[in-house]
Amino acid sequence: MAKSEMQNHVRRLRFEHGEITQQQLADKVGVTRQTIIAIESGKYAPSLPLAFRIARTFGVSIEQVFQYDEQET
Amino acid sequence: MNKTKEVSWFYFFMGLACFLIPGVVAVFIAYDRGISFAPVFMFAGIVIWGGLFWLFPFTFGRLGKGKKKVSFDERDQLIHKKAVMAGYVVLWLYFVAACVVAWCIVGPHGTISVNVMPLTLLGGLVVFTFVQGLASMIQYGRGGKDGEK
Repeated sequence: MAKSEMQNHVRRLRFEHGEITQQQLADKVGVTRQTIIAIESGKYAPSLPLAFRIARTFGVSIEQVFQYDEQET
Repeated sequence: MNKTKEVSWFYFFMGLACFLIPGVVAVFIAYDRGISFAPVFMFAGIVIWGGLFWLFPFTFGRLGKGKKKVSFDERDQLIHKKAVMAGYVVLWLYFVAACVVAWCIVGPHGTISVNVMPLTLLGGLVVFTFVQGLASMIQYGRGGKDGEK
């Protein structure tokens, strides 16, 4: 059975882009800080529009922020 | 703690409180052996208003869109939808259980008082509210500082 996992580099990108806070990123992409926390910890997979907004905030492509790994178990 | 989480706590405690109120009402009815139409209408009103509770967060979300500070986003919406779904599933199970229990108690040829109906409806509302709040809190996680786990 295939097990899927989403990984992201939101936390690293935040620090690489002027160490912006979770709240600042949340305000920029139009979500709550709790959602950014959940995304960074991998507990929540964002919708495609939100993923694009986050990627555009950092000025990178969506694949540079989010990776999708499919593992056979 | 964001607004939706606060609402979930409210639902949870309201559900808990409402378990006590119907209990007191049931005891009162048992002693009084009768029910006037006023409480029936009151129960119906509560059930109708309760049925609309699930719309409130969506309304807040729409109203708050123009404001800078976001208090209800896509994750809250998803959690709320799942919680409402959980509430409805348990609500149906509750009604099925209520029907089966009534059948088991009075038998296939027995009769039950119409007073049971509004109480069953009120119970359904309480169960729905309680499960919705509980499901929301489970999805948000117990949380530490500001819901961060």
